[in-house]
Amino acid sequence: MAFILSLAVIAADRNSDFMGDLRSALLTLLDPIERIAQTPKQVYQNLTTDFTSFDELKLENERLKTEMLLLKAKQQQLIMMEQEVGRLRALLGTTGRVNNSTFQIATVNFFSSNPLSQFITINKGALDDVTPQQTVIDAQGVIGQVISTTPNSSRVLLITDPAHHLPVRIQRTGQRGILSGNGHDNTQLNFIPKSSEILVGDLLETSGLGGIFPSGYPVAVISKVISRDSDPYYEIYATPLGQLNQAQQVLILKQQRDPFATINTDLDTEIKPNQQNTPNIKGLDGTAINPDHPGRN
Amino acid sequence: MGDNFIYISSRQVRWLIILSFVIALVLDSINLIGASYQFLPPFTLLVLLYWSGHFLDYTYISTAFVIGLLADTLYQTTLGMHALIYVTLTFTMLRHRLHFRGYSVIQQALNIIVFMFIFQVLHLLILSPTLDDNEMIQFWSMPVVSAFLWLIFAKLLNLLTQQNAIEN
Repeated sequence: MAFILSLAVIAADRNSDFMGDLRSALLTLLDPIERIAQTPKQVYQNLTTDFTSFDELKLENERLKTEMLLLKAKQQQLIMMEQEVGRLRALLGTTGRVNNSTFQIATVNFFSSNPLSQFITINKGALDDVTPQQTVIDAQGVIGQVISTTPNSSRVLLITDPAHHLPVRIQRTGQRGILSGNGHDNTQLNFIPKSSEILVGDLLETSGLGGIFPSGYPVAVISKVISRDSDPYYEIYATPLGQLNQAQQVLILKQQRDPFATINTDLDTEIKPNQQNTPNIKGLDGTAINPDHPGRN
Repeated sequence: MGDNFIYISSRQVRWLIILSFVIALVLDSINLIGASYQFLPPFTLLVLLYWSGHFLDYTYISTAFVIGLLADTLYQTTLGMHALIYVTLTFTMLRHRLHFRGYSVIQQALNIIVFMFIFQVLHLLILSPTLDDNEMIQFWSMPVVSAFLWLIFAKLLNLLTQQNAIEN
């Protein structure tokens, strides 16, 4: 009976989305076990990490503030460019639209790279509006896709997993292909005919085909191109740009369909009209100071 | 060794059985963090084979199915694949357990090599892991490592079972 049930479950999981809820329920059950499993590693890291001095923290804070300012400036440029692209598209009368995205920052709780699967577990789940099929990126590029969620965590299938397939294009030529994981921290680009022009070092970015991954995000760099006489396609290997094994913080993308909306990131801070001229400054004793009248609170 | 288990029912050590499965799942999860070691066996399967091979009052087939589903979730494989392998191995153990429970721990460990070898063959056929040369050596050395682990494992669980049964 259990044997037949196992076969039925395999068939159901392979051929339909019917078992998604069961997998989420099992993942929720395993969530505390994964957390317990992380504890020895965390204790070891805590014991081996040097205490950062106060001065170093101050310096890092300054550096981060500067970096944030630069990023904000770049963001403004990006918004302007995006609007420009929108206007040009409207002038040309093309129907293609640039999809905007909102980002959600998540921390990696669990990382696994075994011969069966490559995945990470992040600390944002269904309660944070994370849903399956959302794209996950880090500072360098695309790292994977959310495949299942629990209330407080999500599992992300990495682009190096053999079951992962990602529609990409070569940035230099626009040639489209499918990037598949090959299980050893590496990926393989399929269906590139020998008539194509391809070089080692070419950048691969998401093509947006299929509508799951947004277009234009960097994914990998071509590392090896092999041409076999018997095969009409090249055998191409690509190294992922994202720090799949080291990333601690990742971004979950949520696509929006409004092309003229600005990119909304966690860097955005809402400035209310009555706060614009009166920044919130506190004195050493913690009491608020009115910058227009420093002597009066 | 098997004589010690004649008068003990699995109900008397229910909490020990549950706890052993939880600890085995934690150990499997620890092995899964980062790049996993292929020479280590799935601890949940070792525990499953231990309990199904020592008690006659319960078949553990449904437990094998549930633990298999949990393993599928843990390893991110198609649901039912690990369940199928675990159910097959547990069924094989049930056919064999009258002999198995009468063996000494060393004889049991030698039997475990065969069970784990069958597991690896099914694993390779059904789950098709992507293995490089180094991982392939680790993969096929797993049954022997399992036998060594069984020696510690079985003695520890024998001791805990008897102590727990006396207390209950």
